Amino acid sequence: MVSARVLQLLVLACLGSALLARGDRPGKPENLSCIALQRQTFISSNISCSWVPVGRQTTDVPTTYTLFLVYTDASYNVSTHENSAQINTNVFPNFMELEIWVEAHNKLGAIESEHLKKDAGYFVKTNPPADVKVIPENFPTSLLINWNRPISKQNLGLTYQIRFRPNGSQSWTYVPLVDTARDILSFRLQNLKPHTVYVTQVRCKNAKEGYGQWSEWSTSATNRTPEKRPTSKPDLWKIVAEGDSINERRVRFMCKDPVSANGRIIRFDIKIQNQKDKVKNGSLDWERIPVNRSEADSSSNQREITFLKEIHLADKKFVKVYVTASNSMGKSAPAFLAIPEKTHELAPVEELRVFPERGQLLLEWKPPNNTSVSEYVVEWVTGDKIDWKRENRSTSRTAIRGNLEKFVCYTISVYPIYSGWTGKPASVEAFLEQGAPLEGPIVRLKGKPGRNEAELVWTEIPQQRRRGFITHYTLFYTSGTEVHAVRVPANTTSYTLKSLSGNTKYDTWINASTIQGSKSGFNHSFTTLKYAPGEIEFIVVGVSLGFLFVVVMTMLLCLYKKDVLKRNFWPQIPNPGESTIGNWSPDYPLKSETPKENCLSGISVLNVCDGKSVFEEDKTSLPLKKDKYLSEEHSSGIGGSSCMSSPRQSVSDSDEGGDMADTTASTVQYSSVVASNGYKGQTPSSQPQQAIFSRSESTQPLLDSEENPDMLVQEGSKQSHRFPQQPCFTHTVGNEDGSNPADFNQLEMERHEVLEPMHFCPLEEDSEQTTPTDDQSADWLPAAQVSSYMPQLGGYRPQ
Amino acid sequence: MNGHVKSMHFQQFMELATTLLSFLLVMAVDSTRTAAASRNQQCGNSLQRTSNLTRLVHKESVDLIKTYKASQGEMSELFCKVSVNNIPDPNISGMEPSERIVSIYTHLQAFFPHLKRVYEQQTDLQLPTSQLLTQLNHVSGHSKNLAALVKIFYQSLFPNLPVPVPAGGPTTLPPPQNVFQQKVYGCVVLKTYKEFLSNVSQELKTLRSQVCRRRKQINTLLLRMT
Repeated sequence: MVSARVLQLLVLACLGSALLARGDRPGKPENLSCIALQRQTFISSNISCSWVPVGRQTTDVPTTYTLFLVYTDASYNVSTHENSAQINTNVFPNFMELEIWVEAHNKLGAIESEHLKKDAGYFVKTNPPADVKVIPENFPTSLLINWNRPISKQNLGLTYQIRFRPNGSQSWTYVPLVDTARDILSFRLQNLKPHTVYVTQVRCKNAKEGYGQWSEWSTSATNRTPEKRPTSKPDLWKIVAEGDSINERRVRFMCKDPVSANGRIIRFDIKIQNQKDKVKNGSLDWERIPVNRSEADSSSNQREITFLKEIHLADKKFVKVYVTASNSMGKSAPAFLAIPEKTHELAPVEELRVFPERGQLLLEWKPPNNTSVSEYVVEWVTGDKIDWKRENRSTSRTAIRGNLEKFVCYTISVYPIYSGWTGKPASVEAFLEQGAPLEGPIVRLKGKPGRNEAELVWTEIPQQRRRGFITHYTLFYTSGTEVHAVRVPANTTSYTLKSLSGNTKYDTWINASTIQGSKSGFNHSFTTLKYAPGEIEFIVVGVSLGFLFVVVMTMLLCLYKKDVLKRNFWPQIPNPGESTIGNWSPDYPLKSETPKENCLSGISVLNVCDGKSVFEEDKTSLPLKKDKYLSEEHSSGIGGSSCMSSPRQSVSDSDEGGDMADTTASTVQYSSVVASNGYKGQTPSSQPQQAIFSRSESTQPLLDSEENPDMLVQEGSKQSHRFPQQPCFTHTVGNEDGSNPADFNQLEMERHEVLEPMHFCPLEEDSEQTTPTDDQSADWLPAAQVSSYMPQLGGYRPQ
Repeated sequence: MNGHVKSMHFQQFMELATTLLSFLLVMAVDSTRTAAASRNQQCGNSLQRTSNLTRLVHKESVDLIKTYKASQGEMSELFCKVSVNNIPDPNISGMEPSERIVSIYTHLQAFFPHLKRVYEQQTDLQLPTSQLLTQLNHVSGHSKNLAALVKIFYQSLFPNLPVPVPAGGPTTLPPPQNVFQQKVYGCVVLKTYKEFLSNVSQELKTLRSQVCRRRKQINTLLLRMT
């Protein structure tokens, strides 16, 4: 019996501990709040309440909340597992004292929240006031607000709250609650700005202090206050640019509407005075400049800029300008601005610095030394857009806010103003925010590329496309294998690539960089030259000079080494004296005149050249000579060898084989023209001369003098100018044994007497040592002349 | 000497007792004044609630009659000019404030069955979403709340008097009526009820000046006595 009871207690203890482990007693709900909303013209009979549960809630031990509402004899309740509930009373219990609480209960217990014991109006939230209207009155600084109650005053006494703001502004101005505590349906706003659109809103709640909840704000009611005469001056400013002519400025005057325009500006009046107090307009009257502003323009916060007038002002003149602004209610006080002579502009501010910071441009400057600055004008310009603001004289730091654009370059200037007279500006350029350029520079080749270098030029990126300060350019070029980069300063627009390969195609492009990035331009291709400029000319000239040098050297070699060449190219001619022609005389008896005949017979070849170049002094005898020469000597065509016949031709016969001349001597015929009257004296012979032709059967080659008559002529001409074209006689002593020196001397004497004007070619000596050189010619000639006269002696035929 | 000493002790005791009695009297008067002030405030609050709700129900009854006339078709103006029997008297009876308050309470109770009958009749005549039915419901509901407030007010003013009960037994409702009679009946009931509420509102103003002010005067008198 006892053990059974103990067991029962144990089971109960286990169950209890298990239940405790799975859940807790509910906590006391907190922050109970209820609300009854307006429906149509009544307060809704649905009262919604919410609370914050406290304590752990589990699914095993769910907590149920019961919301109770009690007043007088009525009692309502509703249960839920949520944290909110709604009780529907048949009608809203206006003016009844309600007692509301919530009870949380689960298997482990129950607990009630604090009881809300309040008048029913405590829980009411009405609709916002209806039909809110704003009515302008005759006063430019006030507006009347009317509205209707959202619910009858028998239902609920209401208090109101009013707020208003200028259109476009974000901050509301609240009317103090004490001014609207009474159950009113209208209110007059005062101390407003004239000609300004105001937005107003109204809300309401239970008039009992601390009761009810504020309704939502009503819909906005908007209206504009009436106009008033402008109570501030227009903001007058100018743009000064270079004039069309020298020493002249172009000044454009412009102004902003007065800060307190108090209405829609309909007109500006301007008066411009020069230094002689003469009005530029032609009279002292004000010039009217009507403006057409819309209501939107006049109501916007952005003050309109109006360009008033443009004048041309000489550098040495100043001008004073007065401008007033007018609206429908009146005219403002005049604004004043004076442009001094260009040379008399007062000192600018110093150390102007501009830097962007959090969406605005901060400016700092030091005031000029001149302390009479009355104010500063901060001007910022980009493209054709201009704006400005004024700062008082004590300002040295300001910010440009608002309508600045990113990636746009602004030229910011600070003008000191000296009692209306503008001073010199200090200007800097600045970006609100920099970015990478939108496009790269366009690179092109300047001129033609060289073999190893090419000059590139590029255009600067347009200002609108830069989006920042160009820090540097990077020039890239590649021939297909490796990309080379060259960094050049931002102020550079050309660069010469060097060390390029010849006859190679290069691609090049340029990166323009800002602090925020860079942008490449388009590729430009070019091909370097195969030869550098002038290289071809150099080669041609060099080759030509080389060729000329070779030619000259060859000629010099020929001239100075002719003997060597002769010996190399033409073999030694055998002594003609050994020729059989010495013993050969077909018609003429040689024995009777042996010495002479011998002497003549020693001449194997006689060349009598034409006397074309005979001296004029000899021309008188030319006919005779001609006759004789032509009739006697030119007719020596026997054997194809004569004076007219080319000796070279004869030689050429033998040239066909130099060596062959030696070996085939038997096949070469030599002819000898033996003139009986070889010498044609100045006294013509009355008797016809008989020519003697004798043909040599010798097979020996001809003498050099026959082969190179030209050379002989040249040499002869060098030796004696007096005998440029004397007939040449090539003489070879036929019989040395038979020759008598005495006779020879005698003959020489006679030759000197008779043949003085004649020229005789130097006789070729048999021995090689007798070959003269230029140096030797002087020494050589006398000896040679001795032998060269010999044939003449032999050839003389007394007439 | 002993007698003289005893006499002195007695005098000292009497002085102390007098002081204590005076203090107790002041305390008692002060507590009485506080209780009276509280009761006076309670009177004002209760009366204010009752007056506010009376004005609300009156205003609703005015609107209700307009809606009723608008919803009854032609000759609606004539309906309200016809006299109907067994409609509670809109006048408040009694000489004393307590009697008049009781009269208000009993009249309110007397009107409830009639308002209910009108609601039932108009339920048959109007659409369920009719504004008239909604307004009738509001007037009926607020009237019940008003009766509860009057009762509370009465009890707060006259806690020792018995709770008023409707006099004359249960309210006599009209027999079954045709539509026209229903319309006439409804209009007369609402019109009479509106008059009654107007009288109640006026009566409450009078009571405010009579009852709550008199309580204030009583309190002032008590203060002067102390």
